[in-house]
Amino acid sequence: MDKIKSRLAPVLWYAAVLSGLLIVLLPFAWAIASSLRPLSDVFRYTTPFSLRALVPIPFTLEAYANIFQKDFGRALLNTVFVCAATILGGLLLNSLAGFVFSKLRFPGKSIVFTIVLVTFMIPFEVIAIPLYMVARNLGILNTYAALILPGIANGLAIFLFKQFFDEIPSDLIEAARVDGASLFYVYGRIFVPLSKPAMITAGLILFLFQWNAFLWPLISVSSPAHRLVQVAMAYFHTENQVLWNEQFAATVIVALVPIMIILPLQRYFVQGIAGSGTKG
Amino acid sequence: MYAPFIAYLFLAPAILGLLIFKVYPLLLSATESLYQVSFFGQQAKYFVGLENYRDVFADPTFWQSLKVTLKFNFLIIPIQVALAVALALLLNKKFKGVRVFRSIYLLPAGVSIAIACTLWSLMLNPNSGLLNSLLALVGIPRQPFLTTSSQALWSIILIASWKGVPYWMIFIMAGLQGIPESNYEAAAIDGANALQVLFKITLPLLKRTLLFVVVVNTVSNFLLFVPPYMLTRGGPESSTNLLMYEVFKSGFIYNDMARATTMITLLVILLLGIVAIEFRWLRAEH
Repeated sequence: MDKIKSRLAPVLWYAAVLSGLLIVLLPFAWAIASSLRPLSDVFRYTTPFSLRALVPIPFTLEAYANIFQKDFGRALLNTVFVCAATILGGLLLNSLAGFVFSKLRFPGKSIVFTIVLVTFMIPFEVIAIPLYMVARNLGILNTYAALILPGIANGLAIFLFKQFFDEIPSDLIEAARVDGASLFYVYGRIFVPLSKPAMITAGLILFLFQWNAFLWPLISVSSPAHRLVQVAMAYFHTENQVLWNEQFAATVIVALVPIMIILPLQRYFVQGIAGSGTKG
Repeated sequence: MYAPFIAYLFLAPAILGLLIFKVYPLLLSATESLYQVSFFGQQAKYFVGLENYRDVFADPTFWQSLKVTLKFNFLIIPIQVALAVALALLLNKKFKGVRVFRSIYLLPAGVSIAIACTLWSLMLNPNSGLLNSLLALVGIPRQPFLTTSSQALWSIILIASWKGVPYWMIFIMAGLQGIPESNYEAAAIDGANALQVLFKITLPLLKRTLLFVVVVNTVSNFLLFVPPYMLTRGGPESSTNLLMYEVFKSGFIYNDMARATTMITLLVILLLGIVAIEFRWLRAEH
């Protein structure tokens, strides 16, 4: 009986895992294939189904060319800009804060740190409307500032940097101080260069947060000139119902950018997500 | 190193950012629902106490939306947690290729819910979608999916789970790493079968991780907004009118901020209540 069981186990395992894999990949594969077709071909091989549905022959890039000529290209640029700004500002601010929490003592430290931890447990939807009011009062609605500023300070990133810096011995600071270095020098010239893995993880978190954001870009910005890519894709979906290949193309781009970044950086991606779990 | 001045200086930008854009709005959210907007513009508010709540409770749309939200969550939370655990357990085995498979399973967790919605709305298109044509291969007639009230909510459950299950799986997998091999070895020596190992060793040791996943999953699903917004606008026949979508409509389409903030406060209270129950339930068993 055991021999049969141990022969059966791998078969069952592969069956389960591969069927799940199919469910994961099929939407992507179909979208990619369909985006590379001329409009007339998009559903030609879907009904009735033939495997040609997943193979784009004839092949064309016209869908991609077309969407760039519409608002979508602008949305892509906007999102790249917002992501870059958030990452630059975010890495600086959050690593500084992480450094302080890890290496310095000061009155009120535990209270402030608790505040930091609480902020990253707040679901965005809960503060979406009040944040909208704050942005309105600051006069930054419908500007890049509204998209970038709220995203820079990130409790999870601060926490990750603190954890990372905790692993670096404090003697490094003492040694540098003896040589007359300022704390900013210690931070910038010693800790920052050592923190590449933390920078990658935090950078990834900040990037994904901005690239995948939907509710805030939807409500904080109304003009197409400032629109971000997820919202643009949603509009595209409703405004270009029949331009199927272009819809697929827009979706593919918005989906593939984070995927292309996550795949080589998987370890950091998983760390970033699981990191929010360790505090729970 | 004791250095208060430098500490405050270095912390200032980040803490300021958190205070302005996270803490202050959180505090506002607690009190906004007690105000109504005057005719003279958004800036002039007046205190109305609990009147907004009276209005919302008298609104049948609120109750209908609440029902849909409860139904949705009582279905999706167990489904997602169970699948996440199953997937994590599967991908924890050392069969050939598991590393590659694991990477692929990560992908839906890395894309946005909006992407999941567009991809699947195309897949679930009743006339030209891939899913119906695949079903046709096995003789199942065309399904209306998102266009009918009996299937729309389930379609959203499918879409949200396609993205959510891999995401929650990551946490469970991290939790599984924390279980020492020695437990399994001891079980093997005692001759335990797979089911016994699962229920007597793995799940109990995963309790902390499970509690975390259940709670955060609950929060995330109760506040779900994008699928009804992008795919169904709350329909057909309000079958997918989740509360968060109703909040969005109130605030940004009907321009009734008072109603919006009241509803979200109620949603948060409901959520806290359910989370408290989950804590009790998952902590109490020892």
